[in-house]
Amino acid sequence: MQTWESDFARAVRSPDWAVPHGVTSYNSDTPQQRFAIYRNNVMVGLVSALEARFPATRKIAGEDFFKGAAKLFAATQPPGSPLMMFYGDEFPAFLADFEPAREVPYLADVARLEAARTRACHAADAKTLTPAALSGGLPDALAGMGFILHPSVEIVASDYPIVTIWAMNSGEIDLAPITDWRGEDALVSRPGFDVAVRRLPPGAKTFLQGLGTGTALGSAAQAAFAENPGFDLVANLAALFASLAIEITNEPFKVPLP
Amino acid sequence: MITKTEITAATLAAAFALLAVPVSAEDMGGPKAGKEKCYGVAMKGQNDCAAGAGTTCAGTSKVDYDGTAWKYVPKGTCETMKTPNGMGSLKPSKS
Amino acid sequence: MRVSPLPLSAGASFKPEHFAAISTAPQPLGFFEVHAENYMGGGGTPHAQLRFLREHYALSVHGVGLNIGSREPLDRAHLARLKELCDRYQPECFSEHLAWSSHAGIFFNDLLPLPYTEQNLISVIDHIDEAQTALRRRLLLENPATYLRFKQSTIPETEFLAAIARATGCGLLLDVNNVFVSARNHATSASAYLEAFPLDLVGEIHLAGHFETTDGQGSPLCIDAHGSPVVEDVFALFDSVIARAGPLPTLIEWDNDLPDWPVLRAEALAAQVRLDRARLVRAAQAAA
Repeated sequence: MQTWESDFARAVRSPDWAVPHGVTSYNSDTPQQRFAIYRNNVMVGLVSALEARFPATRKIAGEDFFKGAAKLFAATQPPGSPLMMFYGDEFPAFLADFEPAREVPYLADVARLEAARTRACHAADAKTLTPAALSGGLPDALAGMGFILHPSVEIVASDYPIVTIWAMNSGEIDLAPITDWRGEDALVSRPGFDVAVRRLPPGAKTFLQGLGTGTALGSAAQAAFAENPGFDLVANLAALFASLAIEITNEPFKVPLP
Repeated sequence: MITKTEITAATLAAAFALLAVPVSAEDMGGPKAGKEKCYGVAMKGQNDCAAGAGTTCAGTSKVDYDGTAWKYVPKGTCETMKTPNGMGSLKPSKS
Repeated sequence: MRVSPLPLSAGASFKPEHFAAISTAPQPLGFFEVHAENYMGGGGTPHAQLRFLREHYALSVHGVGLNIGSREPLDRAHLARLKELCDRYQPECFSEHLAWSSHAGIFFNDLLPLPYTEQNLISVIDHIDEAQTALRRRLLLENPATYLRFKQSTIPETEFLAAIARATGCGLLLDVNNVFVSARNHATSASAYLEAFPLDLVGEIHLAGHFETTDGQGSPLCIDAHGSPVVEDVFALFDSVIARAGPLPTLIEWDNDLPDWPVLRAEALAAQVRLDRARLVRAAQAAA
């Protein structure tokens, strides 16, 4: 059904626009420039939201390229929710399929990392475990224990050195030649208030993804070793207890003592 | 050489015992963003009720809605960030 | 009976960029106002900062996405998020706009205008009834800044707002800058608009900066940009309002080209001076 509202909504989003039905001003029957205020506010608002959420992606792509891509994305995939801080969850996938961005093959993965950072920033608060949570636990029970990871934890795997590229383009480290050009898996987490981005060492992705999907500690560690013999169990356990895990499942303490 | 069959309860317990010696999460490697501080750094709020953009031409160009009329080239950070394709080039190496 | 329990003093928009400055010393302001949608994540810094504000100041939550002016049903999920936020922080005040921002599943991220017709009046009344019932609190509805109007409008904006408030029991948020901007954009009188405005229903006042340009016909056009100081003409209208209605909770909004905190605070204190003056004048008049 055509209403004043659907008419206005269509005109606000279409480039071949006419002033919608019923719209007027005291000095013009077709106040095109006045109506354009709304069209521009909508477009600039959406593009600004993407610019704020993907600053490193923007720096890599350049302002003009990014703005153009953001406008195209906003025109084809406008937000469905009024929560603008989460607008752009699909922007990395858009960039991955975006032909003009092919020349920068790592761009979409850097955008995926930045999208994960925003989600981590707004994830629910939760207190992380300390090794003390296990003191008194039976060694035999450790292998059977599961963990619930902090709600902010996400792993962004890439065939490109995205952690290094992101860090260089977000002011974390200086821009410099990347001599060791190989894939990096990013760990995004926010145990306190600040979002941390870390490069995962070999095997850690398999280990954490296993734990994240409910695999017990022993099996997750085995899978990580199987994938990469260089897997560092101590370092991974340290990280788990320092900032990544918030709860133990399969409580070892429930195992009856002999 | 460690193999997966060696992941036993004892291996885990031994690794866990080492945690008594503080091991920093930094050992997970790579750069870590920001330092822990009270309240952290908030991302800018995204929703507001202002209308500052209305006088730009942002919404009026048909080109902005047309992927086939694309006119931009990604800049890359090629001036300073060396990629396998060399400084200054972001195109895949054809050689 | 007060329309809103906010203190009868000046407050300021809260921006995360100002948190460090605001939290290091007590601020001589009555309240802070935040945009509801920026606090609809699960946790982290935004909520930590809002907790701090809640502990130290009166709080106003200002929604920008409830889509009250649309003919479509309210978004129940969004209403539930608003309720969760209000339950969590118990703000002194919750306000929204006489505008729409979503249609057919698309959010426009702008406050769009609606025709003032009997049909739309009924629809807005239904939406506010539903929102107030769900939130279990009184809502303040804000008059919009508009750039154009609808031929089909039959009810003056002030009457439209008054009728909504009468039917729903909601209060009104009088944005004096919006009054100025709309009057300029429609070549009408801001003073006449304020004369017709039901000031007894006002629970909060908004003041903000705008900028002036010209439209396609070369006529003056004001944009509600919230990126500059309040202009003297708007302060003068504000003076006339509080001379009639007495001091009211008054917010300085600043969303774009954000200045350092002392600049925004000084702007709020300038409004406070005017509130204090209005209070003294009224006391003198009462004594005479």
